[in-house]
Amino acid sequence: MKNLYKCLFLLTIAMLSVLSNPRQLFAQDKMVAGSVIDDLGNPIPGVTVLVKNSSIGVVTDIDGKFNISVPESYDVLRFSYIGYITKEENIGNRSAFDIQLFPDVTDLESIVVTALGVEKSVKSLGYAVQEVDGNKLNKAREPNLINSLTGQVAGLQINNSTALFQDPAIRLRGAVPLIVIDGIPSTDNDFWKINADDVESINVLKGATASALYGAIGRNGALMITTKRGKKGTTVEVNSSTMFQPSYLVIPEVQTTYGNGDNGQYAYVNGSGSGTEGFGWIWGPRMDVPDPNTESGFVERPQYNSPIDPVTGERIPIPFISRGRNNIENFFQRGLISTNNINVTSGNDQGNFRLSASHVYQRGLVPNTDLNNSSFTVAGGYKLSEKLSADASLTYNRQYTENFPETPYGPENYLYNLVLWTGTDVDVRDLRDYWVSGQEGFQQKHFNNTYYNNPYFQAYEYLRGYHKDNTFGQVKLDYKANEDLTFTLRTGMNVYALERSDKEPKSYVKYGRVSRGNFYINNSAQINMNTDLIMSYTKQLGENFAINTNAGASNRFIRFRSESLNTDGLAIPNFYNVANSEQPLQGTNRMTREQINSVFGTVDLEFMNAIFLTVTGRNDWVSTLPVDNNSFFYPSVTLAGTISDFISFPKAIDFLKVRGGWSQVSDGRISSNPYSHIQAYNPGINWGGSPSLVFPAALINPDVKPETSDSFEFGLDSRFFGGKLGLDLTYFQIRDFNNLISVPVSEASGYSTRLENGAEFTRKGWELMLNANPISKTDFNWNIGLNLSTYKRVLTESFDGSDRFGNIQVGERTDQLFSNSQYQRTPEGRLIIGQNGFPIRDPYQRMMGFQNPDYLLGIQNTFNYKQFQLGFGFDGRIGGTIYSTTHEKMWWGGTHPGTVNQFRDDANNGISSYVADGVVVTGGNVSFDSFGNILEDTRTYAENERAVNYIAWNKTTLNAEYTHYFDASFIKLREVSLTYQFPNKFLRRTSLQNASISLVGRNLMLWSNVKNIDPDSGVDNLQTPSVRNVGFNINVSF
Amino acid sequence: MKTKNILTLILAFSLLISCQSFDELQLDPNRPVQAEPSLILTAIEANAFNNISTGAALASRQLIFTNSASDNQYYGWQRAGFGDYGQLRQVLKLSQEAERTNNNSYKALALFFQSYYIIKISNSFGDVPFSDAIKGQEGNFLPSYDSQESIFLQVLDDLKTANSLLSAESGEILGDIIYNGNQDKWKRLINSFSLRVLMSMSIKEGNINVAGRFAEIINNPTLYPLMRGNHDNGALRFLDLEGNRYPFFNSNDLRTAYYMEKSFVDRLKSKNDPRLFSYADKTANGRNLADNNFNAYQGMGGAQPLAENTNQILSGDGSPIDARYHSDPENQSSLLMGYSELAFTIAEAAHRNWIGLDASQYYESAIRASMEFNEIPEAETENYLAQDAVKYSVNDGLIKILEEKHTSFFMNTGWEAFFNQRRTGIPTFSLSNQIINPGGIPKRWMYPQNEIQLNLQNMNAALQRQFGGQDDINSEMWLLKP
Repeated sequence: MKNLYKCLFLLTIAMLSVLSNPRQLFAQDKMVAGSVIDDLGNPIPGVTVLVKNSSIGVVTDIDGKFNISVPESYDVLRFSYIGYITKEENIGNRSAFDIQLFPDVTDLESIVVTALGVEKSVKSLGYAVQEVDGNKLNKAREPNLINSLTGQVAGLQINNSTALFQDPAIRLRGAVPLIVIDGIPSTDNDFWKINADDVESINVLKGATASALYGAIGRNGALMITTKRGKKGTTVEVNSSTMFQPSYLVIPEVQTTYGNGDNGQYAYVNGSGSGTEGFGWIWGPRMDVPDPNTESGFVERPQYNSPIDPVTGERIPIPFISRGRNNIENFFQRGLISTNNINVTSGNDQGNFRLSASHVYQRGLVPNTDLNNSSFTVAGGYKLSEKLSADASLTYNRQYTENFPETPYGPENYLYNLVLWTGTDVDVRDLRDYWVSGQEGFQQKHFNNTYYNNPYFQAYEYLRGYHKDNTFGQVKLDYKANEDLTFTLRTGMNVYALERSDKEPKSYVKYGRVSRGNFYINNSAQINMNTDLIMSYTKQLGENFAINTNAGASNRFIRFRSESLNTDGLAIPNFYNVANSEQPLQGTNRMTREQINSVFGTVDLEFMNAIFLTVTGRNDWVSTLPVDNNSFFYPSVTLAGTISDFISFPKAIDFLKVRGGWSQVSDGRISSNPYSHIQAYNPGINWGGSPSLVFPAALINPDVKPETSDSFEFGLDSRFFGGKLGLDLTYFQIRDFNNLISVPVSEASGYSTRLENGAEFTRKGWELMLNANPISKTDFNWNIGLNLSTYKRVLTESFDGSDRFGNIQVGERTDQLFSNSQYQRTPEGRLIIGQNGFPIRDPYQRMMGFQNPDYLLGIQNTFNYKQFQLGFGFDGRIGGTIYSTTHEKMWWGGTHPGTVNQFRDDANNGISSYVADGVVVTGGNVSFDSFGNILEDTRTYAENERAVNYIAWNKTTLNAEYTHYFDASFIKLREVSLTYQFPNKFLRRTSLQNASISLVGRNLMLWSNVKNIDPDSGVDNLQTPSVRNVGFNINVSF
Repeated sequence: MKTKNILTLILAFSLLISCQSFDELQLDPNRPVQAEPSLILTAIEANAFNNISTGAALASRQLIFTNSASDNQYYGWQRAGFGDYGQLRQVLKLSQEAERTNNNSYKALALFFQSYYIIKISNSFGDVPFSDAIKGQEGNFLPSYDSQESIFLQVLDDLKTANSLLSAESGEILGDIIYNGNQDKWKRLINSFSLRVLMSMSIKEGNINVAGRFAEIINNPTLYPLMRGNHDNGALRFLDLEGNRYPFFNSNDLRTAYYMEKSFVDRLKSKNDPRLFSYADKTANGRNLADNNFNAYQGMGGAQPLAENTNQILSGDGSPIDARYHSDPENQSSLLMGYSELAFTIAEAAHRNWIGLDASQYYESAIRASMEFNEIPEAETENYLAQDAVKYSVNDGLIKILEEKHTSFFMNTGWEAFFNQRRTGIPTFSLSNQIINPGGIPKRWMYPQNEIQLNLQNMNAALQRQFGGQDDINSEMWLLKP
């Protein structure tokens, strides 16, 4: 808090100093003044303002302002700045200019951060990179930075979860990339600790060739996050966003015709098996049936909330009507994401600093759930002497919530209790008082006590707490020994301490059992230190030749520990302390340490500023393999050549570069457990105080070696029509071999898997980036960026000469989805029905589709018109298959709208009328090979004519007419933002440097081939409804 | 900036570098690489003796299931798994550690558990890997299949060896949660188990001298002591501690979706069997009748359509399983083998004239032991035994013995109820057009899917030699072929 006051103090000082400065007066005719801002309205210092065809020029100051004296014979001003499109303006008799420069989307000289923090020009790179500007991520806010990258980068797949505080799944070229913050690898993969307001840019190094210098952890590319630093002068910036969740994008639609019960009957007895309600089905009678003989006018039935007859003690029937048809709207609350940041930056020639404080508050859809995420960052640099300079940053981040929802399928899932397994005769509003009267603390009130939880009981009593403290940062020293030689020493840390607790009240229903009350605590902590020492030598040798070499060493150390403790029943209800355990406490703990030492070197050769050759090498020593095999070396080489510097192309082609690279990277880490190479016993059951040990099912070859990836990529980078169009195309192929694989083996060998080196997988794909600037006028500018990528992974070699690895045959894709629970079908795909009218199980597993999409697609548009900026982006994934648990369970339980039909009414009346669409075998034979492929088939068929009970059909087969596998393709309108930038004329009258206001929306529209679920999440294990986010952003700086 | 300052800075950085030796980091602080045999034994026992199966109760027409058409109840199963080989891995470790510590008692127990598991596996499939099995550590990942005959014969020898290894001096048994280290009781269980294995081969009596082997054990009680009563039961007692409770304690499904089967309830009712009151709860309509009123109990047909069974329950005429099975954390022990089963086995052998003992006497002690196990008062037991419908007679002795054995296996002793019926056809299990398997009651399970992918040649060789190459649930394994 103290620091916040300091910020405010500085802010006040800054305001006063601006106000006290009298406005400058301009010369009458020859003097011209003005200011230059960027596309987002921020002033650009250092813009060259040149009087065209003269040598007269000035540079804009830190506020982007300039004054220039123009001789009378000149009439054009030229504004240029690196990375931006140069603009020319006629002077005429204007004396003031408000100039806006737009980024040159196809700039070649721009600098990106590459592996180990080495800065290089895009032109010199021999591999694919793609940069995302941090400013794009801090207006339309997502709860976490990674979500915001969806669709922004070719080859980067992000599956966005619909639930609160769930990690997005991130894949780059099919594998999880490394995250690097200011040069320090952050392998804890905590996407929540990075505050988008502090991010200057994210540079995506797409393959191992680019990130080979990070060694094993960089094998799958890297997201290089650079955080902001201070600039010259003092600025205070406030950025505030509020995103509301006003409506649902996707919500499961259930039937509201039939209520709880079974076989069309319903009468509540005790909620746990003595009546129809105990089964937990929604195969009950019709609701809202008129009955003139009752007081209510509807058929009445005894229900869980019936009044009790004081004389007989029986429940008095009440109307059986669909009062709960709006249960979702009535139970869920509107979500909200509120993000506030204040930061102060200052700097001079000697150094700079930046202070930033942020808070993100997210309110969940489920009542009593939320997430807080606070960050405080200091960062800065200082020139300690002419030769020595220092740079450092430190962030403290705290993520905390007293309760966030659990999401997998089961009685922990809110949708499970609210819609999937609750007929709409139950109105969730009646459940708000969630204790059974007189049994407070002991028994929740619900219409079913064995399978489901009262959603309110769950929200207010089953509390899942999460408190995580993150501290991360780095210190870097650069010592410039002479003109050519620099030493860099950098050390960084990632530290966290995580406390988790689950409070489970008595009568809480878990899968298969009812809780006696429990308290679970889990504490864990990790420290992760990285230190690099790098020596760089750069020399220009003559006019056409330059050399740049690095040599370095690094050390990486991780220590992790965790302890968990839980009660076995609670003696006193709702008293959550381990001392309150009914039976002895249970506990486990764990500690791991791991270390990597490395040396590495690189050589860059540059010819004529057009041909660039880079060679790198690295050797690692790791603790995660047996000592005999723990040292390994891997190289990379890349070449980039600007062809357009040597061959003259038609005028339309400005620039053409080809690049190619090859790298080999090895990894000595078998799993997240650094001791995975050690064969040892696991703790087994403790029976009445006798502990036990079990020997694990995974056999470990004691001589395992590191696994290796050979990556090859080839790319083309081109610019057309004066930089109006840029096209970058990459083909990559990665051969993963010598993999550390768990080879499945016959269980009769005593083991289910053996850890070995073997199998070979090939990953390959294309990545296309297209940038265009179709319209660029004084007041109107349109930029469009398109990303398109493909990716496939194929098994190219198995283990021990076998032609298959597990389910997968050599030559086939590895993302096939197999099912072991299908029904037999004819070669034409029709169900084969047995003598009882039900389908016959298929004893062979069947391939149901491919998990991965065929294409990833993203399109970003930005329009600038005067003070307005409109941006919108679409992205999506085309192809791929998703299995929907939601659909399967809706058919099973009786909530699917498709179950509202005559067959169901018949079943309710005891009539078996449903004749499934299928055939019966009338003769002949079929024989299969061992994998279920038909060898010989002489079967003859007749149409199935046997009618079965429709309810039994669905309960038994989960409606076998559907497989519940769906096409996962979708396109989303991911983001729309409209920003108004307050004009300089207005700002000049205030003390503001910059001010903008934006209306933003995310996740606004969805086009897909599957109902009820949002395929964006990649999996459906009964997912939370997907919501739209709409809100506004205010950004002001002084 | 002075050199001294720079050096200080570099020194400060060097403190942040870890210099652990790599050798030191090769020791896992979380897991031991060596185990005392007692620690391995506890885990094996907790698995082997914990064998209460609702699936077996469905397939044996004791319970029915209402949540869906169960593959066990309507005989629609296809494949089973080889998971028990994982237990044989633990047994191998026990054997190795016994060797290391030179303890014959553990060696004997290892042989017993090896026999127990391989019989369990072979009973399910037929020929399975045995002599080649559990040799992954030696590099054999493609184990060939042994014939069922050789497995059973080997097991009979191994059990004899186990019996002879065990004595008061054969070494201390620690970590024993069954007999608390009592070697004598282990010998009794092992020999009793030998008799179970022999009886399971009754169909093969013509080919192999089953009767002679049976008599050899029975006739030499000094060399081959047997269980004497429930106090000798191979039983795992459940405890009200996390992980040690009755496996269906607080089970939602057992509370709401498992009901009594009609033929089972009707048989108990016809014989006035008081165990019905201990196995089942009253129907909704019989709620107000006395607990020991047979009219308060009704079963649903195992082969009846699911919807009919559901409707019978909804109309208040279905008995759920007794509440103790889901509401008592300790309920009753789980039996690997109980004295009651042994006595039924001896009675059957006597009935078959394999041995010269009195079938009636063993039949009655078997029933007494079962009654006692279910806490039926002695007087009621004696009343029960006094009935003509219950009394042993030579004419229908086999039916009586096996029906009573089936009754005694309720929620106990794994799949023995099913396997005994498979061997003898007693009692009759109902069938109808609701049954999924066109062949009726399946005779076996198909080999696991994994074997197709991982051990195809050996599996196909076994299929060829047993069933002409087809993997079918209706094929008869060696044990079932006269």
